[in-house]
Amino acid sequence: MSIHTRPTSTPTTPGPRSRSLFAWQLKDIMLVVVLGAVFGFLYWALVQGWIALSVATGPFGDLTQHVLLGGWLLVAPIAVAIIRRPFAGVIAEIIASVIEVVFLGSAVGPLLFVAAAIQGAGSELPFALTRYRRFSWPVYALSGLLGAGLVFFYSAFRSGWYGTDLFLVRLAIQLVSGVVLGGLLAKVIVDALARTGVVDNFAIGRARVGA
Amino acid sequence: MLGPGVVRDSALARRNPTVKLVVLFVASVALLFVLDPVTPALICAAGLIGVVVGGRVPVRTVLRAQLPFLVFAFGVFTVNVLSRPGTVLWQEGFIRITVEGLVVGAALALRTLAIGILAIGFVLTTDSLDLMTSLHQNARLGARPSYALMAGYRLLQQLPEDWAAIGAAQSVRAPLRRDGTVRRTPAAFGRAAFALLVLSIRRGERMAQSLESRGLGLAPRTVWHPIRVTPLDLVFGATVLATLAAVITAAALLGLLSGPAALF
Repeated sequence: MSIHTRPTSTPTTPGPRSRSLFAWQLKDIMLVVVLGAVFGFLYWALVQGWIALSVATGPFGDLTQHVLLGGWLLVAPIAVAIIRRPFAGVIAEIIASVIEVVFLGSAVGPLLFVAAAIQGAGSELPFALTRYRRFSWPVYALSGLLGAGLVFFYSAFRSGWYGTDLFLVRLAIQLVSGVVLGGLLAKVIVDALARTGVVDNFAIGRARVGA
Repeated sequence: MLGPGVVRDSALARRNPTVKLVVLFVASVALLFVLDPVTPALICAAGLIGVVVGGRVPVRTVLRAQLPFLVFAFGVFTVNVLSRPGTVLWQEGFIRITVEGLVVGAALALRTLAIGILAIGFVLTTDSLDLMTSLHQNARLGARPSYALMAGYRLLQQLPEDWAAIGAAQSVRAPLRRDGTVRRTPAAFGRAAFALLVLSIRRGERMAQSLESRGLGLAPRTVWHPIRVTPLDLVFGATVLATLAAVITAAALLGLLSGPAALF
């Protein structure tokens, strides 16, 4: 299996605009599944370190976990930026959570689907507002901010953070983590993927050729 | 890691996967709105009996799978005990323990364990591919997402091997420590992760092409080993949800139940 070969197929020209917004190609569905599987696997590898980190920092270990929260948001902005279709982010997050629960046997159970849908909606909103046309640093940053911000209120309810002393501290840490790890890092990854040529056959590649 | 579908033959394992998933989801959401310690403790007990007797899962396996939940439950409990304002029970310098903190912390911890036991019962008695087939047939999930997810499952099984191969390829060129071992840096982890991502995206595109060239998406489809919802499945679903409703109602009648208002 060679990793460094470039694809030989040439990018197709932009398709007709009349194509239905919801008619996903199998290729696009498969990409979202692949993103879910790879990030599910990498998260699983990282979670080992995550648990060690929270044990090492004692009773306030769950505060240190917030620092890494943004990493859980990555799938949505990456999927949106590559596929550029409505609901790509929400569907990508839900599929990633299905893979975690169904195939990796994640401990959280099906409540993860709810959190995933909220995260995905938050992350996707800024891109949707630009009608999937602008993919600049501020849009990614806003995506991370909203992804972390929306799901915070759900997590706060689920874990009982409302009415505790550290409520605002938690919110601040999660928002910063969302912007950096869940927004800006996504742009770094997407741009790097585009440079390898591996996503040339998707909407992002067509947009580059069309530009 | 405990893989899905470990227990293949038990009353719980024979139930329809979609019905089980729906029951688990409804129970989890219902428990989200319970904030007293007694109700989730009762659900915990009932769930444990159901999973051990109905699912024929050994108690040791359940307890071992509960470990991550225990860690999380303990964290939730201590944070609430130490940081929730209220009637002070005990104070020493920075450390303050309140009645509200103890009650809410215990409720949240027990809820984590209750959902945990039910989720473990589901995961250990459900085969992943049966679940996807059942979601396709019984829950009307489209053929393309269903088969894409199953192909993703295959890809997932290959990932550890790919990960090891990339790691080995990078170690060959990596700078060595003085004792000859390879230095593992976060940057190396990032590079390996990116290589894995690129490799998998390419493989996914090939998978999509081969699925399409084999006629995926054409109608009508026939299914090998069809999975059906039997009357017994409906009885199972109704029984579990009725038990849940009975426990919550009993707790409410005894005045033990409290809702999300306890948080504020």
